[in-house]
Amino acid sequence: MLSNLDALMHGFSVAVTGYHIMLIVAGVLLGILVGVLPGLGAPNGVTLLLPLTFTMDPVSAIILLTSLYWGALFGGSTTSILFNIPGEPSSVATTFDGYPMARQGRATEALTYAFLSAGIGALVGIIVITLLSSAVASFALRFGPPEYFAVYLLAFSSFIAFGGGRPLKTLISLMLGFGLGMVGTDTVSGSMRLTFDITDLIRGISFLVVVIGLFGLGELMLTIEEGPEFKGASGRIDPRAILRAAAGMPRHWLAILRGSAVGVWMGVTPGGPTAASFMSYGIARRFSRRRENFGKGEPEGVIAPETADHSAGTAAMLPMLSLGIPGSATSAVMLGGLMMWGLNPGPMLFVDQRDFVWGMIASMYLGNLLGVILVLATVPLFAAMLSISFSIIGPIIVTVCLVGAYTVAGSGFDLWLAVIFGVVGYLMKKLDYPLAPLILAMVIGDKAEDAFRQSMLVSQGSLGVLWSNWLVGSLTSLAILFLLWPALTALLGLRNRSVTGAVGSLRPNEGTEPS
Amino acid sequence: MLSRLHLELIFAGIVFLVGVIGLLGSTALDTGWASDGPQAGFFPFRVALILMAAALLVALHSWRHRDALRRVQVANKEGMGRVLGFGLPIIGMVAVAQWLGLYVAMALYLLLTIRLQGRRPWFTSLGVAIGVTIVTFVVFEQWFLVPLLKGPLEIMLGLG
Repeated sequence: MLSNLDALMHGFSVAVTGYHIMLIVAGVLLGILVGVLPGLGAPNGVTLLLPLTFTMDPVSAIILLTSLYWGALFGGSTTSILFNIPGEPSSVATTFDGYPMARQGRATEALTYAFLSAGIGALVGIIVITLLSSAVASFALRFGPPEYFAVYLLAFSSFIAFGGGRPLKTLISLMLGFGLGMVGTDTVSGSMRLTFDITDLIRGISFLVVVIGLFGLGELMLTIEEGPEFKGASGRIDPRAILRAAAGMPRHWLAILRGSAVGVWMGVTPGGPTAASFMSYGIARRFSRRRENFGKGEPEGVIAPETADHSAGTAAMLPMLSLGIPGSATSAVMLGGLMMWGLNPGPMLFVDQRDFVWGMIASMYLGNLLGVILVLATVPLFAAMLSISFSIIGPIIVTVCLVGAYTVAGSGFDLWLAVIFGVVGYLMKKLDYPLAPLILAMVIGDKAEDAFRQSMLVSQGSLGVLWSNWLVGSLTSLAILFLLWPALTALLGLRNRSVTGAVGSLRPNEGTEPS
Repeated sequence: MLSRLHLELIFAGIVFLVGVIGLLGSTALDTGWASDGPQAGFFPFRVALILMAAALLVALHSWRHRDALRRVQVANKEGMGRVLGFGLPIIGMVAVAQWLGLYVAMALYLLLTIRLQGRRPWFTSLGVAIGVTIVTFVVFEQWFLVPLLKGPLEIMLGLG
């Protein structure tokens, strides 16, 4: 524990420089912008910025990208409360009580509750990372290819068991991701796979272009279909209401505690922030003494989902850093970024790249602290920006997405891919196919395949290596149990009430998309 | 309009087709299991098969619930109109970009959509179109030194 504190202090010495503070502020502000604008979410925002970080030092790059992520999480809550339009899928649950509060003229109060509980939730997530990540990493250092394959398999199959979507649709999403990730040069044998002699496919399909299509253009089409109109409370901030809400925070300690616990759990496992916020809202409503007030402007109905949302968002960095397995779509994109900067995600980071790891963790404290302040200060600005008609903002977002898609590899072909995946994303969203498994499978699918094929090289083609010791054996068995979970529950006549039930009873139409 | 049943079946059909394409692509490779484990085509082949099977199951499931799904409308006429009105110009922009470069395409796209669909005055449309294009040029070409797709116009102006 003490060595972790030392390491964290070292991290602060890396993160606290004028340049990095500037990056944090810029990242958070860009993030709020991305979070506020419909159609531009956290995964997409990180993706658009990623090609611009290739020339940066990895520490600075990750600080910029994670700060953007925190900003996006904060920004998403702003529009939920003021306009009843969730800027991020993970802030849907915030609209349930946040918007009614704003309608009653308590917008400032609702925003303060949201941002403060989000800040506390994030803090809990980061403390968990600070305390546990190096222990997890040093444990994972003993992993060989079979263990890695088992952990990857566990990540994929827990999407099927607990992802919240229909298991078959999750499976299709995963398999599409694997298939897309396989296009191009095979890393083990060097042969071309699924390229169909198309030169543009030889370098493979970039997951960044796919994210821009699925999460950017697809999301925009959904927004435009509903005909977005920002009508709602004014964005004026009343300083006295901020203090009043801040003073009222300690009364809700139990909701905050529960929300953080739910969030950390869902962030570390591939549940993600969206499922976490819904679940936390459901739990808060079930146990509250003021249950009948939920949905009509109950502060706890804002605090619970916001705490869980942010603690899940930050906790998702734990498996990404220490195991190289992302817990959400956004962290999957960041993981891809790590590889592009020439780092090898996984436990070796804690040995080889101490500056990077601890600088990033330290910047998470700073980013969220500055985030709370910046987002409160800029609410009027961003609220005013949304009064610009969507008929102007929409096309601008489209050009930003397409420019982003081009910068990934400097290829005109990628523009077509982005458009195609925009249509695919729109259809998938319409039909409740989860998108995050596709991205996850694309980013770590070939790593999983490599791990499997390396294990087979070692064992001379025998699957027994996946049960060769207690660790890998229990991981593999657990993964297979998860994989068969939907079939098992269906067979036993049980309903999967855990996540699906809680979310489904709140709002049947909303997917449980980890962002 | 389009019912949920139709859309489910259409998308399952697309997934099935993707599976077939994957299957064809992987049969060109060694799909077997040699002494050193799976070969290059082993996983693509199986992923394609799983995709086809899962698509069939989704289609079957939708068909079994066809009465309920038929009643669910996925989109109304105005919504579909808005989506098409938004999506088709994007395709147009990408097509033009291949030929005239990204900057010209984006300026044209912004000008025409904001003017014709947003029904904003020419002044606003032109201002946004030129403003966004110039900002993009400065940010990418000058700050981050990331060149974007250029066409004959930029070369003529000596910017390519």
